[in-house]
Amino acid sequence: MKLYLYGIVDSSDRIKEAIDGLRGSRVYSIPYCDIGVVVSEIDQVTQGVTQGCVLEHEAVVEKLMADFTVLPMRFRTLVDGRDNLLAMMQSYYRDFKGNLERLRNKSEFGVKVIWPADKVKENIVNRLRSDQPETSGPRRSAGTRFMKEKFERYRIDEEFQTRADQFIKAMDIFLGKFAVEKRLEKLKTEKLLLDAAYLVEKSQACDFREAFWHIKSAHPGFKFLLSGPWPAYNFVGLSKHDPARDAEQANLFAEVARSQDLVGADGV
Amino acid sequence: MGSVMTKSADVTLLEVLDRVLDKGVVISGDMVISVADVDLIYLGLKVLLSSVETMEQLRGSPFAGPMQEAR
Amino acid sequence: MIAHAIVETDSPDEFAEQIEKSQDALPAKIDANPENVEKGLAKLVLTLIELIRQLLEKQAIRRVEAGSLSEEEVERVGETLMKLENKMAQLKELLGLKDEDLNLNLGPLGDLM
Repeated sequence: MKLYLYGIVDSSDRIKEAIDGLRGSRVYSIPYCDIGVVVSEIDQVTQGVTQGCVLEHEAVVEKLMADFTVLPMRFRTLVDGRDNLLAMMQSYYRDFKGNLERLRNKSEFGVKVIWPADKVKENIVNRLRSDQPETSGPRRSAGTRFMKEKFERYRIDEEFQTRADQFIKAMDIFLGKFAVEKRLEKLKTEKLLLDAAYLVEKSQACDFREAFWHIKSAHPGFKFLLSGPWPAYNFVGLSKHDPARDAEQANLFAEVARSQDLVGADGV
Repeated sequence: MGSVMTKSADVTLLEVLDRVLDKGVVISGDMVISVADVDLIYLGLKVLLSSVETMEQLRGSPFAGPMQEAR
Repeated sequence: MIAHAIVETDSPDEFAEQIEKSQDALPAKIDANPENVEKGLAKLVLTLIELIRQLLEKQAIRRVEAGSLSEEEVERVGETLMKLENKMAQLKELLGLKDEDLNLNLGPLGDLM
């Protein structure tokens, strides 16, 4: 009996409302000490992964969020049998408990910012050109010209990064005030200045949103996205070391290398 | 593909996928069949959204390599 | 279908585009023919050369920045890097490889370059 996992909850109580899980399966919780794991029975390992399944998974987790603190499971985690499930709960109990305590009464908010990368670069180039007028000296040979171009490009990139840092810092000063934890990613793409996750106390959610709207109005040329409240996907951390997991990590590298066709099927 | 979906539905879906596929609790061990690691993180989004059956056709063989369903 | 989380933005298309861009970890094509050992090796070798080339270039730029290269040295280094870049371009074209092909994804460690 394969069990599909949705998340860990901070209670050993049964779930009161009827929740529909993946493929219409019944969602229920299995207690372990003072916490629980929320599952469905899925006999065959899910095939035909579609976006529908992902949304079903998320819908379950969000319904749980209303009544419990939830540690959301990554999509498509299955355990083979109830005994194995309880063994898993035993090994991860401390980790789960710690996370549940830490995340109680908090939700995650996502903030994404798009900035006018092209205009920023243009501005930088103009600035550099005016600071450094073209030195038309003696005939420049190819190597020197090459290096000059590379150096210019390097300076533009450096300044680009610096400006990104400055904007992010300025925004984070406001948003960070209402967050207990945060994860910031700078320039995931050239245009995506910031991709951030903030962990916010439920009681401060309003203040956080206000801070967001304030920043939005302060940067008219930028585009903003606010999402949430989410279960704390970005803030669960497991520390438990598992020899099987370390071996799995090693296999993971091998698998990725194979999938990249860098190594043939026979390991050559 | 998503002719019914508006772009704002796309963004919502992407926000969900970004979390559900890539973040959250990851457990491992002998008893855990977590195929989430390899086949979901390291595939492009567009590839993921097609069904496993289609992918089998492309590869020419069921469940070879990183697409293994069970370890 | 989503119970609670709402996504608020007045530029959904642009964010959809950028998010998709940032989430493509691998090139979208799936190689249906896993027997390209040679091509795999070529990719690996070129990836490493490209990595070294980039590191050398960065080093050279740092030295230019610090002003620790003479005019002659700048010329020589520049010429060498230029030739190396051209050579790489030739090899890539010869083997039908693009820039995106030459980047190792190290799983949890992110991309090599």
